[in-house]
Amino acid sequence: MEFGPIWRAMMRNKGGYLLIALQIAVTMAVMVNAFAIMQERSIKMSRPSGIDDANTFSLVSVGFKPDMDAKTLVQEDLDLLRGLPGVVNAVETNSFPLRQGGWSEGLHREPGVGKSVSSSAIYFVDEHGLDTFALNLVDGQNFTPDQVSWDSDSPDFWPATVIVTQALAEDLFPDHEGSYVGKTFWFNDENPANIVGVVERMQAPWPTWTGVERSMLVPLRRESEFARYVIRTEPGYRDELMVQVEELLSGSNKDRIIRGLGSAEEARKLSYLGDAAMIKILSFIVVLLTAITGLGIVGLASFSVARRTRQIGIRRALGATKPAIIRYFMLENFLVSSVGVVAGGVLAIGLNIVMVQAFALTPLAWYVIPVAMIVLWVVGQAAVAGPARRASAISPAIATRSI
Amino acid sequence: MLNMKNVSKVYRTDTVETHALREFSLIVEEGEFVSVTGPSGSGKTTFLNIAGLLEDLTDGAYELDGRDISKLNDKERSRVRNEKIGFIFQSFNLIPELNIFDNVDVPLRYRGFNADERKRRIEQSIEMVGLGSRMQHLPAQLSGGQQQRVAIARALAGEPRFLLADEPTGNLDSQMADSVLDLLAEINAAGTTIIMVTHELGLADRARRNIFVRDGQVSDNAPELHLASMAAG
Repeated sequence: MEFGPIWRAMMRNKGGYLLIALQIAVTMAVMVNAFAIMQERSIKMSRPSGIDDANTFSLVSVGFKPDMDAKTLVQEDLDLLRGLPGVVNAVETNSFPLRQGGWSEGLHREPGVGKSVSSSAIYFVDEHGLDTFALNLVDGQNFTPDQVSWDSDSPDFWPATVIVTQALAEDLFPDHEGSYVGKTFWFNDENPANIVGVVERMQAPWPTWTGVERSMLVPLRRESEFARYVIRTEPGYRDELMVQVEELLSGSNKDRIIRGLGSAEEARKLSYLGDAAMIKILSFIVVLLTAITGLGIVGLASFSVARRTRQIGIRRALGATKPAIIRYFMLENFLVSSVGVVAGGVLAIGLNIVMVQAFALTPLAWYVIPVAMIVLWVVGQAAVAGPARRASAISPAIATRSI
Repeated sequence: MLNMKNVSKVYRTDTVETHALREFSLIVEEGEFVSVTGPSGSGKTTFLNIAGLLEDLTDGAYELDGRDISKLNDKERSRVRNEKIGFIFQSFNLIPELNIFDNVDVPLRYRGFNADERKRRIEQSIEMVGLGSRMQHLPAQLSGGQQQRVAIARALAGEPRFLLADEPTGNLDSQMADSVLDLLAEINAAGTTIIMVTHELGLADRARRNIFVRDGQVSDNAPELHLASMAAG
């Protein structure tokens, strides 16, 4: 290998090489940290909501008649929905995961005035809520019909029983070991709630909230002219039923309007729109920067070949084979890239430390920098391959031509 | 050793066909010091390029050490250039970014010698041309004569069977030119075959045999001075 002579020759003419090494370093620092952000966003987007996103949709009934019997209408609607072929179950609720609008509440471990120890998203449901959302009950049991009440009949508003997510239970009782069923916490300093069931997961309506995994089902039906229905269908029936249900509810009562029809998948997509856009923008930037770096290497190598045409001819005259000439330029690029990726690695770590401190970004995974180094080495070698091949085609007879 | 028979070289473009060598025949025996002279455009450099395997011939036969050169592929030609031929160029052709040591090292690396062997050969050849104290100098830090000596050291380091010199004193003053020619004579005396291409008839006197090239052919009508040299040789 000719590392020594190549390195010494580069050191005598280092301006262009240093600029390319710097470009590689900056590309690597940006690439690595962009990748870290993309990875974080991607993990965030791929988190399960806990519900059956693919087969769930929602719509809102808004009554406009002043003396409307909301209780009766909601019950009639639910009976209608639950009886439809293809519908697995339906519930009236205030929100659903990732809808970006909902109800949250501060929670206390002890009664009385004091600072809340946790907070949770609240989903008001009846005994059909668990099945409609297709939640995985890991402990305890579902609400019984007698545990479900109308808000108009409930003087304290908050029911005495709840079903919580595993994450909420762990946050409320961090030192507790064993089952959370039977544990009690307090709403608003004074209303006790007894945990009757624990579900594996049900995300809050707000994807950017740090407590997104903390939710609870509350067995309360709300008597209101505004009713949101969540419907789960058999696989493959969702889109068909979305149209059918909208028409059915619109036709069943003319004193209301039906709006807000949309699937849980659409809501999910909408809630991660910013993250998806960020991933696309960062991907574009990484590809663009890598391409610019590659082109820079092509440019430097082409310039280098043009500048050293005679020298290449001399080397050929002295016995260099075509592969030896290609190898020379490949090695030269490998050295430049190595300086760039080592500097880039240091720069990337430094930038990541700043970003972790400033934006609470997850620290880089150990493999990101080695992978980025390999990628940039490969890009460098691919970029220099063309100019190197052109160099190898230079005739050794150049050596005898007068300057 | 070198046997060219009816060698032709034609350069073709879309519109022009140039016959650089026509029916060129020459035999050079081992240990000879042959000068090749002729006017500009006579085909001297083309002959040198073909003799040194820097270019393909268009027609004819060329054997080097009994080997038919026209049948070799690029890799084999590179190997023959590296192992059997040493080149000395008019403009020295040293690599400007490399110091003297590394310049002489270039053909040895292509030869595949190990580091110790290369070091021994480099030091020996640089010492031989009297530049042992300049090994770490860059070419630009040496005079023209010194640079040509480095080129000679580079050509000799691989212990080639023959040396091809293309106007070796063309860029040197007369004193330096004499010194380089003395060195070539010493090398020839040690057994290395030398073919020197030059347009200066005076330099041809230093060779033992002179070939005059005109219109791409070996000519019998050499200038008088040259013929006198040939008679003396």
